[in-house]
Amino acid sequence: MSDQQLCFHCNEVNPPSSSFNVEINGEMQLMCCAGCEAVAQTIIDGGLISYYTHRTQKSVKADQLIPEELKKLDYYDIDLIQEDFVKKREDLSEISLSIQGITCAACAWLIEKKLRCLAGLKFINVDTTLNRALIRWDEDLLKLSKILKEIQSIGYKAYPFQINQQEIIYSELTKSYLKRIGLAGLATMQVMMFAIALYAKFFSSMEAQFTEYFRWVSLIFATPVLLYSAQPFYLNAWRSIRNKSLGMDIPISIALIGAFTASAYATIVGTGEVYFESVSMFTFLLLLGRLLELRARRKAIETSSNLLRLIPTTATLISPNSSEETSLIPAKSLKVNDLILVKAGSIIPGDGIIIDGTSNIEESMLTGEHLPIKKQQNSAVFAGTMNITSPLRISITKTLQNSLIAEIIELQGNAQINKPNIEILADKVARYFVGALLIIATITYIAWYYIAPNEAFWITLSVLVATCPCALSLATPTALTCATAQLNKQGLLIKQHHVLETINHIDNIIFDKTGTLTHGNFTLLNTRLYSDYTEQQAIDLAAQLESSSEHPIAQAFKRLQKNAIELRNIQSFVSEGLQATYQNKIVKLGHAIFCNTLALKSTDLVVYLTVENELVAAFELGDELRKSAFSLLDRCHQQNISTSLLTGDISDKGDEIAALLKFDTLKKGVTPEQKLRYLTQLQQKHKVMMIGDGINDAPVLAGAHISVTLDSGTDLAKNSADVILLSGDLNNIFFLIQIGKKVTRIIKQNLSWAIGYNLVIIPLAITGHVLPYIAVIGMSFSSLIVVSNSLRLFKE
Amino acid sequence: MESIYILIPIAMIFVIIGIALFFWSVHSNQFKDLDREAVNILIDEDIHPPSKKKKN
Repeated sequence: MSDQQLCFHCNEVNPPSSSFNVEINGEMQLMCCAGCEAVAQTIIDGGLISYYTHRTQKSVKADQLIPEELKKLDYYDIDLIQEDFVKKREDLSEISLSIQGITCAACAWLIEKKLRCLAGLKFINVDTTLNRALIRWDEDLLKLSKILKEIQSIGYKAYPFQINQQEIIYSELTKSYLKRIGLAGLATMQVMMFAIALYAKFFSSMEAQFTEYFRWVSLIFATPVLLYSAQPFYLNAWRSIRNKSLGMDIPISIALIGAFTASAYATIVGTGEVYFESVSMFTFLLLLGRLLELRARRKAIETSSNLLRLIPTTATLISPNSSEETSLIPAKSLKVNDLILVKAGSIIPGDGIIIDGTSNIEESMLTGEHLPIKKQQNSAVFAGTMNITSPLRISITKTLQNSLIAEIIELQGNAQINKPNIEILADKVARYFVGALLIIATITYIAWYYIAPNEAFWITLSVLVATCPCALSLATPTALTCATAQLNKQGLLIKQHHVLETINHIDNIIFDKTGTLTHGNFTLLNTRLYSDYTEQQAIDLAAQLESSSEHPIAQAFKRLQKNAIELRNIQSFVSEGLQATYQNKIVKLGHAIFCNTLALKSTDLVVYLTVENELVAAFELGDELRKSAFSLLDRCHQQNISTSLLTGDISDKGDEIAALLKFDTLKKGVTPEQKLRYLTQLQQKHKVMMIGDGINDAPVLAGAHISVTLDSGTDLAKNSADVILLSGDLNNIFFLIQIGKKVTRIIKQNLSWAIGYNLVIIPLAITGHVLPYIAVIGMSFSSLIVVSNSLRLFKE
Repeated sequence: MESIYILIPIAMIFVIIGIALFFWSVHSNQFKDLDREAVNILIDEDIHPPSKKKKN
C-alpha cells in the first residue's frame, strides 16, 4: 500500500526504516516516531478506535513525552498557583484549558471520552471552534496535573490560558446580537406576510376591516423589533451625538423611529401609509451585517487569547532559617530580600542580585541578544530571563510589580493610549452622507410645507426610508468579514478591523531582528574540518559533549546528532567550554582560548572541537535568517516602502543583516524606550507598520499604526499586536497587503453603488413618487448586490 | 374569512413560543460550537466498552 509510507497517525513521511507500529483493526499500521506510536497505542488500549474511523483530518504529530516536562505539570497542583486560573464552585473546581492539536470534531470526542474514564471528573466539554475545554472535577479525587497528563498521553497539549477581558465582552455582545436578530427575523417574517396581503390591496380590493386588522397585527409584531432589536443603533447614535460627530447610526435611528412612529400613528388614526415591513427588515439586515463583523473580530480575539498561555512561574524560596529548606511558591508572591534558588534551565522569577554562583544568563527578551551573558556574584538579574548553566542563589531586590518587565508593560500601556487615531473610509463617507441626507430631508420638509402642508411629513419620511443607508452600512462590514475569514484560512489573525484599510497607506516598516527576521534559535551554519574526522563524526562528538547542557548552542548540535558516542567524565567550565574523555583521549569543545587554538574571523559565533589538543573542527553557529525575510524585503523595496531594523543587540550581526537585506535604516543596541521614541518620530510623517516578537518590542507594537507579531512571539507582544502570523511565514505579510488592496477596492465599489442608488432614488422621493413597496424592493436589491460583491473576496 | 380573527392570534402565540425557545438556546450556549454536535452522533458508538486502562 502506497500510503504505508506515511505515518498512520499524523500523515507525515515515515523514516525509511521505521520500526514503530501499532495493530489497528487487525492490521499493523506503521508510524513515523515513538511519539505517534505511544499515542496510537493509548487510543487503541482505551477502546477509542472510532477516533480513527471518524476523523476527517489527520492528527498533529505527537511529541514523545519527556519525563522532565511531565514533571513540570505537577506545578499546576500547587494551590497558590491554581488561584490564577482555577475557579472553585461549591466542592468542584473548574478550569478552561486551551488545547493544541485539535484538527476535527473527532478529536473533541476522543478527549472527552478519554477523560471521562477518570474518577473524579464531573464535567467536560470540548469546543472545536475555539479549541478549548471546560472541565469540572473533584479536587479530592483527581489532581489537575493528572488531567493535563491524560490529555498529553493522547497527543494533545493543554494549557490554562488567560481569557481576554475583551473576549468576555465580545461573547456577551454576540449573544445579545444573536437574540436581537432571532427576534427581528421571526417577527419580520410575520410582518412581511401581512405586508404582502396589504400590498395586494393595490391590485384588488380588500375589505377595510381586514386592512385595519392586518395593520394592527403588524404593529404588534414590529414593536418588539423596534424597542428591543434595534436598540444598539439608538445607543450608538446617541453616543455619536454626544461626541459631536455624525455616524451612520444617526440616519438609521431617525429612519427607524420616524417610520415606526408614523406607521403607528397611521394605524391608530386609520389613514396614511404603514412601513412596518420596511422597518423590521431594515433592522434585521443591519443587525446581520453587524453580527457578521462582530463574529469575525471575536474569532480573532478568541484565538489570540488561546495563545496567551498561563505557564506558572514558580520560585524556589530558600527558608531564612536553614539553607537546605526550600519551598515552591508562585513568583508573584515574592517579597524584597527573599532568597531564592534558580536551577539551571529555568526562568528567573524576579529582579534581584546574585548572592552565590556563576552562570550564563540569556536575556534575549530584554536585549534581543540570544547569546547568554556571564553573570557572577553581585550582578543584577531580571525577571523573565533564563538561567542556562548552573544554579544560582538570588536575593530579590524588587517585587514583581516594580520589576523591569512591569516597567515595559507600563510603557506598552502608555503607547497604546497615544496610538494615532485611525479613521476608516466608511466612517468618512458616513459623515458626509449623513450630513447631506439630514439637510435634504429638512429642505424637503420645508419645501413641501409651503406646497402641500398635509403631505410634508409623509414625503419627508419616504425620503428617509427610501434612502435608508442599508446598503451603505452593509458595504464595509460584509467586505471586512469575508476578507478576515480568508486571512484566517492563511493563518493570519486580524484583531483590529482598521488594519485592512490602513495597510494600503503603510510606507514604512520597522523590523525587529531576533525571532522576527531570524528563527530565534541557534543553528549550525557552517562546519570547517581540520583532520580526518568526517563532519557527522565531529557533530556527533560535539552533540554528545553538550548532551547535558541547556545552553542554546547545545540544542543546535542535538538536533543534528545521529549516533551516540560513549564519553566519560564530562566536565563543564562556565563560559569557557566542555571537556571529556573519549577513547582515552581528551576532547574539548569551547572557544579558541579554552581549546588552545587560533581564533577564526567571523561575525558568527565560532566553537572549536579539539582531540588531544589537535583541532578537529570549527563550527560556526548563528541565528539563521528566515527564508521569507529575503522575499518580503525584496517586495518592500519594489513597492518603495522604507524599512528599518531596530535591535537591542549591539553585535556586528545587525550590520551584517542590514547589509544583506538592504535595510534603509539600522539602529543597534536600542532600549524599548528608544525604540518607541524612534517610532513616534517616524509616525509624525509616515504610516508605520511594526513587526516584532519580543517583550522589548511590545511598547512599539502597541504604538504603531499596524503591528504584527508571530505565533512564537511573547505573550506581551501578542497582546499588543493587531495582527498575529500563526505560520511564521513572513510572506503572509505581503498576502495581507494584497487582501488589503482588494478589500479597499470592494468597499469603494460597494459604497459607490450604495451612493449611486441613493442619487437615483432621492429625487424621486423628494418629488413624492416613491411608493412604499418600491422603496422596499430597491432597498433589498441594493443590499443584495453589496453582499454578493463582498462575497467575491472568498474566491481563489 | 372571519376565521382569521382566531387563527392569527394562535399563530402569534406560536411565534412567541418560538422566540422564547430561541432565547433559551442562545442562553444555554447552544450556538457556541456548531461543527461539533452535528458529528457527535456518528462517532459516539461503543465498539467495545472502554476497558479499564492498565495505567491508572
